[in-house]
Amino acid sequence: MNRDASYDAVIVGAGVAGALIAKRLTGAGMRVLVLEAGPGTSRSLDGYTQHLETFYAATAKSPESPWPPAVGAPQPDTTSLRNNDGYFVQRGPNLYGSSYTRLWGGSTLHWLGVSLRMLPEDFRMRSRHGVARDWPLDYTALAPYYEKAEREIGVSADVADQHYLGLSFSEGYDYPMRRIPPSYSDRVLGAAVDGMPVTMGDEEIAIRVRSYPAARNSIPRGDYQPVGAVDIGPEGRSGTSNLGERCQGNTSCTPICPVQAKYNAGKSMAQADQRLLTVQVQAVASKVRIDPVTGDVQGIEYKRYEDVGSPVHTTHLATGRVYILAAHATENAKLMLASGLEGPRGQVGRTLMDHPALYAWGMAPLDVGAYRGPQSTSGIEDLRGGAFRARHASFRFDIGNDGWRATTGAPDTAVADAVMKRNLFGPALRAQLETTLPRHVRLSLAVEQLPDPDNRISIDPNYLDAFGNPRPVIDYRIDDYTLAGMAAASDVARAVFRRAGITDCSDPDKGSWFPSAFYQGREFRYHGMGHFAGTHAMGDDPSGSVVNADQRAWEHSNLFLVGSGSFPTMGTSNPTLTLAALALRTADRLVATLAE
Amino acid sequence: MITEQNLVTDENRLERFLAFSAEVTAFTVFELQGTGQAEAYLKTIGDVVGAALLDEILTVHGKQMSTTGDEGRPARNAYLRREIFGSEKLGPIARNIVKLWYSGVWYELPTAWTENYGPAPKDVTFVVSPASYVEGLLWTAIGAHPAGAKAPGYGSWAAAPRIPRFAGDPAHLPAAADEEPARLPA
Repeated sequence: MNRDASYDAVIVGAGVAGALIAKRLTGAGMRVLVLEAGPGTSRSLDGYTQHLETFYAATAKSPESPWPPAVGAPQPDTTSLRNNDGYFVQRGPNLYGSSYTRLWGGSTLHWLGVSLRMLPEDFRMRSRHGVARDWPLDYTALAPYYEKAEREIGVSADVADQHYLGLSFSEGYDYPMRRIPPSYSDRVLGAAVDGMPVTMGDEEIAIRVRSYPAARNSIPRGDYQPVGAVDIGPEGRSGTSNLGERCQGNTSCTPICPVQAKYNAGKSMAQADQRLLTVQVQAVASKVRIDPVTGDVQGIEYKRYEDVGSPVHTTHLATGRVYILAAHATENAKLMLASGLEGPRGQVGRTLMDHPALYAWGMAPLDVGAYRGPQSTSGIEDLRGGAFRARHASFRFDIGNDGWRATTGAPDTAVADAVMKRNLFGPALRAQLETTLPRHVRLSLAVEQLPDPDNRISIDPNYLDAFGNPRPVIDYRIDDYTLAGMAAASDVARAVFRRAGITDCSDPDKGSWFPSAFYQGREFRYHGMGHFAGTHAMGDDPSGSVVNADQRAWEHSNLFLVGSGSFPTMGTSNPTLTLAALALRTADRLVATLAE
Repeated sequence: MITEQNLVTDENRLERFLAFSAEVTAFTVFELQGTGQAEAYLKTIGDVVGAALLDEILTVHGKQMSTTGDEGRPARNAYLRREIFGSEKLGPIARNIVKLWYSGVWYELPTAWTENYGPAPKDVTFVVSPASYVEGLLWTAIGAHPAGAKAPGYGSWAAAPRIPRFAGDPAHLPAAADEEPARLPA
C-alpha cells in the first residue's frame, strides 16, 4: 500500500460540508487533503460545459443525467430507484426515494438551492411537541453560523420576508443578496391565496405565498461580491469567473445550472488556499483504520482509479492529525460500517430520514408563465410549525415555476401526447401547446419525517460494488406520523387549488412513476427530496448519538462526521444550509483544536 | 402521380422538407432555418427510415402546394390528414418529423409500423444532438426557453409570459398586419 504524506486534516468528500471545512482550515494555515470518490470533471469551465452538453443530449433529463457515475463510485439514480435495481439494496417496506451524486462538487451540482433555516422549534421536538428528540444545540447557538453559511454559499433573500414561526435574525442583519424576484406565477397564486385560513387541529393558520431564501446569485447588498462559475485549470489556474454572478433564469437549477449562478461546493473549493490544499479525485475511501487501544483514527484507506469505466484500482493510505468524513449521510455511515465502526449502541446508519414528498399539479384558469425562471422561487412555509406537530408531521410547499416537468415529463411529453393521441399538427398543435402549457402549476408537498432506529443504512457482504466496497442496504418505513402529515398536506393543496380556481390534474397514473404508501384508505405516491439525514446523529451523550454537538465522534477523538447525517431531527427545511452552518461551526472547533 | 415538377431531387429535397415542415409545425421556413437543424433532421430521417420514405411524403405534400395562404389552410390540412397523417405508412414518419422539430428528439416508431415497413435498426428514441434539444420549437411556442439554455435574463420570469403569435393561430387570429413579417424570398 502506498502511504501519502501526512496532512493536518484529511477530508473525505468534496461536497458542500467538506469544501467549507477545507476552505476554513486552509485559510487558517492548515494543510488539507480532500479525497473525492468521483471524477473532478466539474473543476474547469470546459469540463463543466461538457456536463451541460451531456444533459442536453440525455433522453431522460433526470437529476443525475448530466453527472454519470464512475464504475468505482456508483450512485443511486432516479430510474434505478423506480426499478429498484440500482446501487441501493432496498429491503422496504417502503422504498427510499432519493438520489445523490458522487463527483467533485457533490450533490450541490444538482440541488435546487433552497436555503431555509430550521425553525427554533425544530431543534426542540421532544421538549416542545413531545415527539422524537432534541438537538444538543438550539437555534440561538446556530444562528451566527447560519449567517456565516448564508454568506459562504451566497444566499439571496430579504430578511423582511423571513420573520415567521419564531425565526429571528441579529439586529440589522440582511442576506448578502436581495431576494430572487418572485415569478409571475408566484404573484398570480399569491393574489389568490394570501391570507387563506387553514385549520390544523385546534389551530387556524393563515397561509401565504412567500419568497424563500435561495443560494442563487442576485443583486448584492453592501460589499458582498457574488461568486461566479468555477474554473480550476489543469495548469494550476484556480478561481472563479464572472460568468454566473447573476441568475439568468435558465429554469434548470436541477439538474445543472449552466452558468453556476447557483451555489455548488466547487465554489468553496476554488476559494480555499490552493497552496495548502491537495485534492485527490477518483479516490474512494474504503476503510477508516483505528488504533485498537486509543480508538483514534490512524489513517484512511482509499482506492484510486485512473479509468472511470474500469474496476481497476490501487489502494493507498492517507494520514493526518484529524479526519473528517464529509462523504454524504449514506456514504459516511457506509464507510464507518465497512470499517467495523458501528458507533455507540450500534447507532451508525440508524434513524435515516428524508422528506417524503407528494406532487400536486393543476391547470390555472389563465397563463401563469410556466417553464420560466428558477425552478421555484416561493413556497408556503406557514405549516412548517405549530402545535399540531404533537400529532402529525409538518410540511412545506414548494411552488414550481417549471410546470409539470417533474410530475409528467412535460413539456416534451405534452408534445408527444398532442401529436400521438390528439393527432394534432400545424396550427392546431401549436395552439394546443400555447393555450395549455403556460397554465401548468405544480406544488411539491415535502413532509417531515421523524427519526426511527429501524430506518437505517447497513451493509451486507453479499452486496458489493465493482471495487468490492459495500453497497448501502436500506430499511425504510414511512410511519403514521408522516402519513398523517401527507394527508393534511394533500388536503391543503386541494384547498389552495380550489381557492385559486386551478383545475386539479394530479393523477399519479398519468405522471411519472412513484412508489405508493397507504394511510386510512388513501394512497399517496411519494418521492424523495434528496434529503438524506440522521445516520450519525449528534446528541448530548453517547447513549443516544454518534457524534457530539461539534460533530466529533464520541468513540474516536480525532474523527469528525459532518453533514446532514448529524441531524437528530430535520424539520421541514432543505438540509444544505443547516449542514453548512454546522460544518462552519465544526471548522471553527477544528481550527482551535489543530492550533493546540 | 409524380410529375416532373413535383419530383424530389437531391437539389430540392432540403427546400421541400422545409416547406413540408413549415406546414406541419406552424413555424415559418425562416424560423425553421434559424434553428440550424434542418440538415441534421434530414440526415436523421434518412439514417433511420431511409430517404425514399421521406421523398414519398414530400411528393404527396407537393401535390397540394397550389393552395396557399390562410384561406387554403383547411383544404390543405384535410389533404395532409387524409394522405399523410392518416396513412399507416407515412403517418408515423410525419408525426416523428413534427416531434423532431418541436423537441429535437427522434422517437422510436410504433411497433406496428416497424413490423410492416421495417426493419429499422437505428430506430430508437434519441436526442439528435445537444443543439437539437436547445433548438426545439416547443419552447418558443409556449413563450418559454429550453430548460438549461437560452436564458432570458435576470428577473425576466417576474413578467407575464409573451406567447408569440403565428399565422393560422386559432387562439389569436391575426389581423392582416400581423402576418409573418419575415419570409424567405421565393
